[in-house]
Amino acid sequence: MKHTYVLAAALGLSLAAGAAQADKLDDIISSGVLRCAVTLDFPPMGSRDDNNAPIGFDVDYCNDLAEALGVRAEIVDTPFPDRIPALVSGRADIGVASTSDTLERAKTVGFSIPYFAFTNVVLTRDDTGIEAFEDLQGRNVGSVAGVFEALALEEQMDEWGGGTFRPYQSQADVFLALSQGQIEATVVTSTVASAIVESGNFPNLVIGSEAPFGIDYVGIIAMRQEYGLINYLNLFVNQQVRTGRYAELYEKWLGGATPPDLTVRGVYY
Amino acid sequence: MFDFSYRFQWAQAMRHLPRMLEGALVTLEIAILSLVVGIAIAVLLAVARDSKYIWLRAPATAWVEVARNTPALFQIYMAHFGLGSFGIYLSPYTALLAGIAFNNAGYLAETFRGALRAIPETQTRAGRSLGMGQAQTFRLIVMPQMFRVAFLPTTNQMVWAILMTSLGVTVGMATDLTGIVQNLNARTFRTFELFAIAAVLYYLIAKTVMLGAQLIAWRLFRY
Repeated sequence: MKHTYVLAAALGLSLAAGAAQADKLDDIISSGVLRCAVTLDFPPMGSRDDNNAPIGFDVDYCNDLAEALGVRAEIVDTPFPDRIPALVSGRADIGVASTSDTLERAKTVGFSIPYFAFTNVVLTRDDTGIEAFEDLQGRNVGSVAGVFEALALEEQMDEWGGGTFRPYQSQADVFLALSQGQIEATVVTSTVASAIVESGNFPNLVIGSEAPFGIDYVGIIAMRQEYGLINYLNLFVNQQVRTGRYAELYEKWLGGATPPDLTVRGVYY
Repeated sequence: MFDFSYRFQWAQAMRHLPRMLEGALVTLEIAILSLVVGIAIAVLLAVARDSKYIWLRAPATAWVEVARNTPALFQIYMAHFGLGSFGIYLSPYTALLAGIAFNNAGYLAETFRGALRAIPETQTRAGRSLGMGQAQTFRLIVMPQMFRVAFLPTTNQMVWAILMTSLGVTVGMATDLTGIVQNLNARTFRTFELFAIAAVLYYLIAKTVMLGAQLIAWRLFRY
């Protein structure tokens, strides 16, 4: 009898300790909801359809992850600058928001292995005479504040000297500024560039040559100390490629060419 | 629920303090310029609104109505993208300055008009009877008194102008305090630390401007 009490007490203690150590992955599973911060101003990765419902590659990716976890997905519309506040304030569990995995950022937030990769191109008006990336020297250019290509472009403009760089708040503002003539060119991901040119909303925009920024690998973000969750995200990204779902989503949202390779030759992640 | 597993790294953010101070200077510069321009236009608007000529009264009234009854964000956005659609390209700096000066002028015009009402008509008549012209009377007798009466409400607008400069990011402003903090945030993701420092800097800028205004007032308005 005495043994039973001791055992029960031990069991109770270990359960309590277990509850106290529950990590984010446990929280998501037990709450039944996976809340993903997705930027819905970045087609075709994230945007809204005619009924204002979130759609895009990132949205589908979040839905797949929720399905794998056996929970419901909730998309939290998060502009690029608000990704970290969304995680830290607990409004979202993870960010599936095309977040470039720089070492500087990784000091603050945890990254999964890359789940997508972008290349960047010059987007300009048909009357600027800009063709190659080097033609941007001394020009007025702009991009979306805080995204990978904006940081890279600003650094290049600083290095060249002359001309100005303007960070706008949204991709829509950049296209507006470009089509009006406020800026002469921008550098955007090739996916966004072809989406906007195909949309026909800005008939005077043309795609120039590729920008020499290297491949922009993006990861899923979570709180840095949530190893359990990040481990799961890594396996999930791996499985998406392995099962062909990655290629399927790429075909669905970007179409045409083969999906970008997510590995770097000659080194482990 | 705030996740308290987040560790604040102040040293990481403080490394960028010199750049933030540069931004604070630009913010201060825009705020002061917008006030100087705003006050100059506001005096003209205040006089024009009480004019007996409709062609002076109507545009002044329209300016005050639009400036006071639409958001400053809208005014700045229109200065950049609105004029841009007519082929008039204001740089982010100019658009921000123009937007805030426009707003300042609208608000201050009403403040000054109220102050003018508080100055007895006999002051003007006394000036005129001493042989001063109409403009001379206004400049030497009425206007100094108007500024004294309107001083406290004007300092309100000064603080407001400083805080409004943060709206510049909507038109691609990169060099003011908010623009620089936004850029640093994107690079480092140290959102909370950077924004907290920025808030302190805005507070200090506002305090500095208020102190400066009080010194000027002490110099100008003593009897």
